[in-house]
Amino acid sequence: MTFDWSVVWQHRDALMAATGTTILLTFATMAIAVPCGIMVAALRLYAWKPVRALATSYVELFRNLPLILVVYWAFYVLPIMTGLGLSPLATGLAALVLNVTAYNAETFRAGINSIRRGQVEAAMALGMSRLQALRRVVLPQALRRILPVLASTWVSLFKDTSLVSVIAVTELAYVAMQIRAQTFRVLEMLTAMAAIYWLLGYPQAKLVDWMQRRFAVTE
Amino acid sequence: MNKSATQSGRTKAGGITIIRYRGVVKRYGDFQALSGIDLDVHAGEVVCLIGPSGSGKSTLLRCTNGLESIEGGDIEFEGTALPRDERELRAVRTRMGMVFQSFELFPHLTALANVAEGPRTVLRKHAAEANRRASAMLAKVGLADKAPNYPSALSGGQQQRVAIARALAMEPDVMLFDEPTSALDPETIGEVLNVMKQLADEGMTMVVVTHEMTFARRVGDWIAVFDAGRIVEQGPPEQIFDAPTTERTRDFLSHLGWTG
Ligand SMILES: Nc1ncnc2c1ncn2[C@@H]1O[C@H](COP(=O)(O)OP(=O)(O)OP(=O)(O)O)[C@@H](O)[C@H]1O
Ligand SMILES: [Mg+2]
Repeated sequence: MTFDWSVVWQHRDALMAATGTTILLTFATMAIAVPCGIMVAALRLYAWKPVRALATSYVELFRNLPLILVVYWAFYVLPIMTGLGLSPLATGLAALVLNVTAYNAETFRAGINSIRRGQVEAAMALGMSRLQALRRVVLPQALRRILPVLASTWVSLFKDTSLVSVIAVTELAYVAMQIRAQTFRVLEMLTAMAAIYWLLGYPQAKLVDWMQRRFAVTE
Repeated sequence: MNKSATQSGRTKAGGITIIRYRGVVKRYGDFQALSGIDLDVHAGEVVCLIGPSGSGKSTLLRCTNGLESIEGGDIEFEGTALPRDERELRAVRTRMGMVFQSFELFPHLTALANVAEGPRTVLRKHAAEANRRASAMLAKVGLADKAPNYPSALSGGQQQRVAIARALAMEPDVMLFDEPTSALDPETIGEVLNVMKQLADEGMTMVVVTHEMTFARRVGDWIAVFDAGRIVEQGPPEQIFDAPTTERTRDFLSHLGWTG
């Protein structure tokens, strides 16, 4: 068996662009799923009972569905539901956001619950509203505690973006598979893909390890 | 209620009534934590609430600023019944400072930022004005040099003094203390009690739940003895500590080893 690594070099522009899309997807998903996660967590904790139940159902549903199923579901159902012809990228983003928001909501809920009741009471005794107490006192403390968990979610997300390749989003996995199909250079393309994911993912994982040590709860 | 019996020996009773409790009832499910509390707090008075564990002292304080709602009776603050509406209740809370047994400083903020937080977020002061006020309050409790410290880098006594400064920064009309020294090492209790004594001398109206009988005796103007959700006796410290009129008060004090 002979290898022809030049195929990787020949397609470097396409691969670079696809890597960019993968990174963009990760950032965009997190940028939306963090505030949404806080919102869903707040609804689960403080909202009117039926709304609370709805938020809980959402979290439990999407945390327990395989992501690839959500991706397909978004691809077939979202256009019907919204009446919009969404691009594959937008559809993939929506699926990732639905999934990661559910995870983040659970993370934030646990983080908020881990802050002593007395902290909220001290804030309210100063005359703060519940929302002010949440924003000024509870969230800043909760955020520190859950930063390592959010970071692990980030690392998983970075790899999981590859799942949206099934609906033809031109991210790294999809583009690499395309090149493979055109050139029949299977091992070369798989290796190149692995190298790129690993080179980008490994420092992130190390960063998470560092954060878990750095932000270990001390009170 | 027999006016003369509850007011005799009350030197500051001439001042306006800041807090008036009448028949206050608080229930947790079937359990009645407060069963008809009658008590007045006048301007400039230090009223100490004493009594055994679980007798309802903390509960009364928490009802006073609306952290807990009441099921019966009335609590009037400066002549007006405590509002039920959250927004109005918040306005009332800004005029009552509260100090907790467990300090409850905000651990993610420096001492200065802890004290500035109320003026900044609730009173909507500019950062410079809030910080100026916070510095002044820290200086007042003797901690000007600890302004940049986080709570984790302060002793228990220092943390509690910061908590007092945090409450004072709102410029309240009354201060509520719930066992402010119970969580402290013996050697730091004194510094907190001194700050409280100084506040009392400046004429601050204070309601203090305490097990520090010496403090109650020396600084208190009026003592209310709690037992099982009721006030079993109230009066000036000389009466409570030297000539208690009820068996329950005598029991409680002798249980503490109080000998006068
Ligand atoms: N949230 C609650 N739910 C149920 N019962 C409560 C609650 N808070 C207080 N209680 C009960 O009410 C009673 C009075 O409690 P409270 O904390 O006011 O007592 P206390 O006089 O402050 O005692 P201590 O000196 O131990 O602080 C206790 O029996 C307590 O168990
Ligand atoms: Mg108590």
